Amino acid sequence: MRRPVLVRRDEALRGGQPLAFAIGLAAALFIGVLLLLGAGHDPATVYQRMFEASLGNPDAWSVTLNRAVPLGLAGLAVAIAGSMGLWNIGAEGQILAGAMMAAWVARVGDGWPGPIIIVAMLAAGAVGGGLLAAGPALARSSIGVNEIITTLMLNEVALRLVQWLIHGPWKDPDSFNFPLAPMLPDQARLPVLFGRAHAGVILAGLVIAVFGLAVSRSVWGYELRVAGSSEATARYAGISLSRKIFTVLVLSGAVAGFAGAIELSGTADRITETISNGFGFAGIIVAALALMRPGGVAAVALLFGAVQIGGQSIQTLGVSSSVSTILQAFILFGAIGAGVFSQYRIRLVPGRRSVLEESVG
Amino acid sequence: MIDSAPTATATVPAVALMGIWKRFPGVVANAGTHLTVSTGTIHAVLGENGAGKSTLMNVLAGVYRPDEGEVRVHGRPCRFRNPADALDAGIGMVHQEFRLVPSFTVAENVVLGAAPPLLRRTAFEAEVASTAARFGLAIEPDRLVWQLSMGERQRVEILKALWRDARILILDEPTAVLTPAEADELGGVLRRMADDGRSVIFISHKLHEVTDFCDEATVLRGGETVAASLTVADTDSAQLAGLMVGASPAVTERPPPRDPDAPLLEVSGLSALGDRGNKALRAADITVRSGEIVGVAGVAGNGQRELAEVIVGFRPATAGSVVIDGTDLTGATPRQRFRAGLGYVPEDRLGVGLAPRLSVVDNAVLRVYSDYRRGPFLAADRARAYCQDLVKRFAVRTGALTDPVAGLSGGNLQRLLVGRELDHHPRVVVAAQPTRGLDVQGVKAIQDLLVAERNAGAAVLMISEDLDELLMLADRLLVMQGGRISAEFDPVTSSRQDIGVAMVGHRSDAEGRL
Repeated sequence: MRRPVLVRRDEALRGGQPLAFAIGLAAALFIGVLLLLGAGHDPATVYQRMFEASLGNPDAWSVTLNRAVPLGLAGLAVAIAGSMGLWNIGAEGQILAGAMMAAWVARVGDGWPGPIIIVAMLAAGAVGGGLLAAGPALARSSIGVNEIITTLMLNEVALRLVQWLIHGPWKDPDSFNFPLAPMLPDQARLPVLFGRAHAGVILAGLVIAVFGLAVSRSVWGYELRVAGSSEATARYAGISLSRKIFTVLVLSGAVAGFAGAIELSGTADRITETISNGFGFAGIIVAALALMRPGGVAAVALLFGAVQIGGQSIQTLGVSSSVSTILQAFILFGAIGAGVFSQYRIRLVPGRRSVLEESVG
Repeated sequence: MIDSAPTATATVPAVALMGIWKRFPGVVANAGTHLTVSTGTIHAVLGENGAGKSTLMNVLAGVYRPDEGEVRVHGRPCRFRNPADALDAGIGMVHQEFRLVPSFTVAENVVLGAAPPLLRRTAFEAEVASTAARFGLAIEPDRLVWQLSMGERQRVEILKALWRDARILILDEPTAVLTPAEADELGGVLRRMADDGRSVIFISHKLHEVTDFCDEATVLRGGETVAASLTVADTDSAQLAGLMVGASPAVTERPPPRDPDAPLLEVSGLSALGDRGNKALRAADITVRSGEIVGVAGVAGNGQRELAEVIVGFRPATAGSVVIDGTDLTGATPRQRFRAGLGYVPEDRLGVGLAPRLSVVDNAVLRVYSDYRRGPFLAADRARAYCQDLVKRFAVRTGALTDPVAGLSGGNLQRLLVGRELDHHPRVVVAAQPTRGLDVQGVKAIQDLLVAERNAGAAVLMISEDLDELLMLADRLLVMQGGRISAEFDPVTSSRQDIGVAMVGHRSDAEGRL
């Protein structure tokens, strides 16, 4: 009897990634058809709405781009740490911390000229995210405390801080006792590019490009990649690991904090406890799908954003949010997850399953 | 199943491995190896690292499929497709790395995967306890595994095999993690198992354990069986040592001797702790002069790895000093030492010497990348040009230079690594197991590079478990035993037998057991 097994290719299949993308997307859309039919919807109408709402016209693009900004920056934050083999699970909290710092600057700087207040907010956002990550960074680099646990736990701390602020010191006196912070002043809003797309799109693109270049081309990035490949090799090459770990985790937090400031200044009216909206966790998926390469994060985030926006839009057709979420998951998994399979080929081998044999042989 | 097999009589051996071949890319691990184990005995499989012991045992345990050859268990030919098949045939293996769930109890680990349908904790704990008691394994079934010592964890692994009623138990270097007292205790457990009619295969390279515990011994060297089923009682340890290290005729190919000049590497009174906090290196004194290769021989685990790591700055010295070319570098970083002219070929190529996920270019400049700075960037064009040159001069066969280095074969990986270390003409070279696992051509290439470096005036400290290699290349030969430099030999005049005995240490010598 022969059975199929997946064997890793020595070299990636030429043109395999785009092909896998197309096949995966088609398969996901086909499964989606079954899902939608089962739920009693017309697949053609639903797909048309999804496409139109996310990529069908400039306005739709602007909304998708706005969504891709926090996804991409959070993904970048995770990928920076990931290229050194570190896991920053705290982007969610770091986004909140960045938004808090930016909101504080907006309060303090009420009345400053627009450009200054915006630059100050964005810088404060990065500082906020970096500060929240500094604790885990120090603990990891000095005594080896697992950063996954510490960054994750600080998410809760950041959330409680925001809740305290909007229930307490920052509560808007004109909000009829609702726990709401006051609206941002107009000069603290990022300028609009087109449709609803704000200048954060360009800023995020720049930040991703700069870090992508830094990781892949700079001496700093080289040291990062060596350390991510093997810690012992890094020591052998004379790279100071503890300093590297500290700076990388703080930078990772700063990028997430920057995303929080952009969200506040670009799309939100005021700081809320939901401003991070799961972007920090989605960023882990974005980074993983981009194989921890900062360069790949932008493309994944764009697709992710389009699927999210399209998926939300079909709820107006009466598609329940759970069906919409399942559909989004299928498309993401199919389109991007399939890329992984282009690195494998199928081989028929005799006999039963033998995991070890495959991994060794 | 065992029951349906012909009843194990004295004439049908428990295990017969015949003409086993197993090749890995660039390495032949087993070259027609054979092994016969009688029922109810403890059978030692002896050999140096790389002799093919572990591969052979993995073939028997169903982890690897042999390329050629036959496996017979109690006289029945078997073709195991996976470890579960081997287990069904009554073969259990205790690997060097334990495969336990740290957060489970001893009993839970023992029954994991072979549990009774209804998990009644008290019931199976009692059963596990009684199995343990029957074989004299001191263990409390309700303890959590992460709280156990290495010796206790090993008992859990043995219990796992016994729980599955393994009639044949393979232990891969079981005493490596044990204290001497624990090792003696293990010997008692194994004897009880043999008396119970089970067969034990005991892989080791510690001779005193073989002579203490085992009934028969098979010696492997270079993937071949050099002595099969010797009766241990009739064989003395010097004879076994000789078989292990080989007694091939005198080496013909010897680099012409060269008058050593100034001392370039001076190690004095160097001591260091091992990974488990043990005193792994004890007051080592070594001087290597310009234009000489000093070989360090010894059975694995006698401080050679620690010696290399302390010299290159990977492991802190607890006492003593390292002087390179007249400069005291005892507390220096690995990079400072490299800059001072110390090249290092580490034992673990992909884990230490190279960054496996990075490209060939990135790995070629690993030691000198700061020389390829252009502003904040790495000058990719210059690095690439250097890499192309390096690859060409050291005959490294690669695919695209931008592909991950992990895709290279073992021999090419080592050429890249050695080439990179030697390209800057270090004054001192420390090479740890530089030819281990390479094919004949690769071995020759690496040896030639090291000899050329010596002839150019470098001081080479070569640590190897391949005594033939050391006898061929070294100008002087040191033997490490129990963390000390225990003897020095002249490779031209010394007998292999004497060196083998020095490597193993005297049985009566208590130090030798640590």
